[in-house]
Amino acid sequence: MTDPEDRALTWSFNRRAFIGGAAGTVALPLVAKAAGDANTAAVAADLSLPVDVTLQINGATRPLNIDIRTTLLDALREHAGLTGSKKGCDHGQCGACTVMVDGRRVLSCLTLALTVQDQPITTIEGLSQGDQLHPMQQAFIDQDAFQCGYCTPGQIISAIACVKEGHATTDGDIREFMSGNICRCAAYPNIVAAVKQAAPAVSDEQKG
Amino acid sequence: MSTAAPEPKANMGQPIPRYDAVAKVTGKAQYGADVALVNPVYAYLVTSSIAKGRIDSFDLADAKTVRGVVDIVTHENAEKLKEAKLFSNGGYTSSTIQPLKSADIAQDGEIVAVVLAETFEAARQAAYAVKVNYTAAVPTTTFGSPGTTSAPAKGQLAQFKEDPKVGDFAKAFESAEVKITAEYGTPAQHHNPMELFATSCVWNGDSLTIYEPSQYVHGLKNGVAEQLGIDADRVRVINSYVGGAFGSKGSMTPRTAIIASIARRLGRPVKLVATRDQGFTIATFRAETRHQVKLGATRDGKLTSLRHEGWEISSRADPYAVGGTKTTTRMYECPNIDSLVSIVRADRNTPGFMRAPPEVPYMFALESAMDELAYELKMDPIELRRVNDTMKEPIKGNTYTSRSLMACFDEGAKVFGWSQRKAEPKSMTDGDWLVGYGCATSCYPTQMAPAAARVRLQRDGHVKVQIAGHEIGNGAYTVIGLVAAERLGVPIDKVSVFIGDSDLPPAPVAGGSNSTASTCSTVIMVCEQIRQKLFKATMPDETLIDKAKETVGVGQTPVTRAAKGDRQIDYERAFDALGVSVIEEYGEWKPDGAPMDAFRAMNKGQMRMVGGPEMKDKIAYAFGAEFVEVRINRWTHEITVPRLLGAFAAGRIMNPTTARSQLMGGLIWGMSSALHEATELDERYARYVNDNLADYLLPVNADVPSVEVIMLTEQDDHINPAGVKGIGELGNVGTNAAVCNAIFHATGQRLRKLPIRLEQLDI
Repeated sequence: MTDPEDRALTWSFNRRAFIGGAAGTVALPLVAKAAGDANTAAVAADLSLPVDVTLQINGATRPLNIDIRTTLLDALREHAGLTGSKKGCDHGQCGACTVMVDGRRVLSCLTLALTVQDQPITTIEGLSQGDQLHPMQQAFIDQDAFQCGYCTPGQIISAIACVKEGHATTDGDIREFMSGNICRCAAYPNIVAAVKQAAPAVSDEQKG
Repeated sequence: MSTAAPEPKANMGQPIPRYDAVAKVTGKAQYGADVALVNPVYAYLVTSSIAKGRIDSFDLADAKTVRGVVDIVTHENAEKLKEAKLFSNGGYTSSTIQPLKSADIAQDGEIVAVVLAETFEAARQAAYAVKVNYTAAVPTTTFGSPGTTSAPAKGQLAQFKEDPKVGDFAKAFESAEVKITAEYGTPAQHHNPMELFATSCVWNGDSLTIYEPSQYVHGLKNGVAEQLGIDADRVRVINSYVGGAFGSKGSMTPRTAIIASIARRLGRPVKLVATRDQGFTIATFRAETRHQVKLGATRDGKLTSLRHEGWEISSRADPYAVGGTKTTTRMYECPNIDSLVSIVRADRNTPGFMRAPPEVPYMFALESAMDELAYELKMDPIELRRVNDTMKEPIKGNTYTSRSLMACFDEGAKVFGWSQRKAEPKSMTDGDWLVGYGCATSCYPTQMAPAAARVRLQRDGHVKVQIAGHEIGNGAYTVIGLVAAERLGVPIDKVSVFIGDSDLPPAPVAGGSNSTASTCSTVIMVCEQIRQKLFKATMPDETLIDKAKETVGVGQTPVTRAAKGDRQIDYERAFDALGVSVIEEYGEWKPDGAPMDAFRAMNKGQMRMVGGPEMKDKIAYAFGAEFVEVRINRWTHEITVPRLLGAFAAGRIMNPTTARSQLMGGLIWGMSSALHEATELDERYARYVNDNLADYLLPVNADVPSVEVIMLTEQDDHINPAGVKGIGELGNVGTNAAVCNAIFHATGQRLRKLPIRLEQLDI
């Protein structure tokens, strides 16, 4: 895996953000760093202007023009048209927004979109191959592991990560490592059953 | 078969996966805030930081300089919307506290401004920059706070009809051989569905489309139209999926008409996704309650006297109450009963219904008291229920349409291993853990309301069902599809179901567990209309038609009885005889005992619910028995619940898969209401303290080891054509009492105020 510090340096700044250079705006450390030594003007850039970012979502390159404060979740939902990932709290407390970034599960509501450029992002929309569901999606259906379905995209992404992390070997482990995803309908026992059902296939997929 | 698909017993449908399963696991299911809008304006709410007082002025200078701000709406420039009447008093709204109407503030977290901007980020930044200058008064928070006023619920609230009583309680209690007097308390709770309170409004000319999670699209449509002063036919509410509701999305909240009004003013679509903390104050909650229960009994356990007095918090503006005495006074045989419910007013937002609104707090009090009585009598708690079980409710003497309470206790006790329980408190241990078993009665009234549906059958067997029901996780798509497939004799995969749209024929609020009973009874009736047409086509002889009519049955005939007389219809022959390729039928169904204006009200989005204890000559409830094992660490006092078990009988089970899941979720809710959930109040400011998902304790996966659901066969031909009692709220009734009863068994300590925290344990 690349060092996240290095990644920040590769972040490309939209030229439009250099225009104006309005005084009074406080530069985020990230922005200062991202602009690099080459152009110190970025420090004084007008941060309220949108910037161009490029995200790699479900294997597709998605150029977006967004406010620098846009979270990955809002970038997906409001700008990329991918509304499968859900907003349940916007504070990293519920897990409904969980997506995969570079193979790890992350809370997209606590991730700024421009910090994950050039990293592969997988959302719930990217799991199935045409009509062929991912084994974890099928397991969630077979075990009736949801009711209202709102937390489900986050649960499924988390569940795949849970298996790949090696945290799905016992019921107790599954419960513990799936506890970052709240299900208010309380389908929990069925979620555990679904993770167990899909675990062998997901492990094989990882090995293969 | 997987545990998620239990083998169906008699009077149960086949366990099939959810109709909407693929949409939900692929992210394709579109919830309100998922709908793409063209060139939307983003709204962000500013809510009051005081609970009582007035706004002196706004300082909007900083907010207006934020790039992308389009408008800021306050009471000074907002459109004056028409007043709305409280849902529980026959209107549409969840609260008559109408924000942006004047400078007055009636509750903490009241909407005081709406910031509109080109992006969500700009709207949020500007909302943070809005400065509001208040003159604050000292608010009243809850029970025991200075300034509360208390008055009987009767006469204040249309929904609360009576304080049930019978015989002479005072005299009987005085002379009772064994007596219990105890006081109980339940906390404020918030529904916290995972989906936030979102509203998108789009105008097209003078027509408005609203995308919003709602448990009652026809109510919302009519309510918003009334507030905006426009024809209800100009308003359409669309929500194909609701991301959890639990009562919070049942009645209109003030935000919707406000957003609609702003969208009209700006001439652009407006999208609001209220934040989690704002959801605590811009919608309803389950109010805190207090109870006093008095039970008198003979030495052999027969109840001779019962009194239940309840107090409930409501807002200054609205007399909301759940009034659970209508249930608790009718649970057991007892000749002398008295009850009283009072509403205690404070400076709070108006409470509202939350999953089993009356039964969760009131049955907690009754079922805890029954357990206390059992110990006093040195009697097994199940036996105490058996001695007082009855087929006639004691208030009016009406007969239960069916009541399988003791069958639930017996089956549940067997599977749970109740016989392993040692009667003495604090008598069971496992190493450092004190072990306790507890049980309680669960119940929920069977309720129905008028509904309409349109069903289309094609010659090739494809079926389309249209009814404005609601998919809130209850499996509505699935059971509506199932019942149509069953009645028309087609495979389920040929049935398409359309719900969650106010342009469809009206269905009632998806609340009070009436949804399946009402929508399925209606769809059954309309399918029968189609079958009759087909019969007529294939049986031209008049006498035969009459005979066929009798056999098929319409209206109130239970599906199971009608199904026995079913005849195979040769569809292709019938369609050819009729010379058509499609038959489409529309029908309106209402339950027995529905008022004269039932259909008119239905079309206006007003509820006319029938059932439970308020039927003319009968009483209808679903029952269950719940069992809990608790383990309490002797040194740390940590409380764990390794096992929850519920045995339920609720008439016909349409789909054992979705039914089991709903009951299981209910049991976990019930445990949560005993050990996790409470909205903490800052009594100085009448403010909610833990208004986020980290501090408002909800159960997570690690809190829930083993949950077992048993569904018993029960057939009830006296409730509705579907024979369905409703299970959405049955699972979480009584669980809180069962947990406390188990804690008493483990420790010998009786805890009467929820939620239980380990620091309360004194062992």
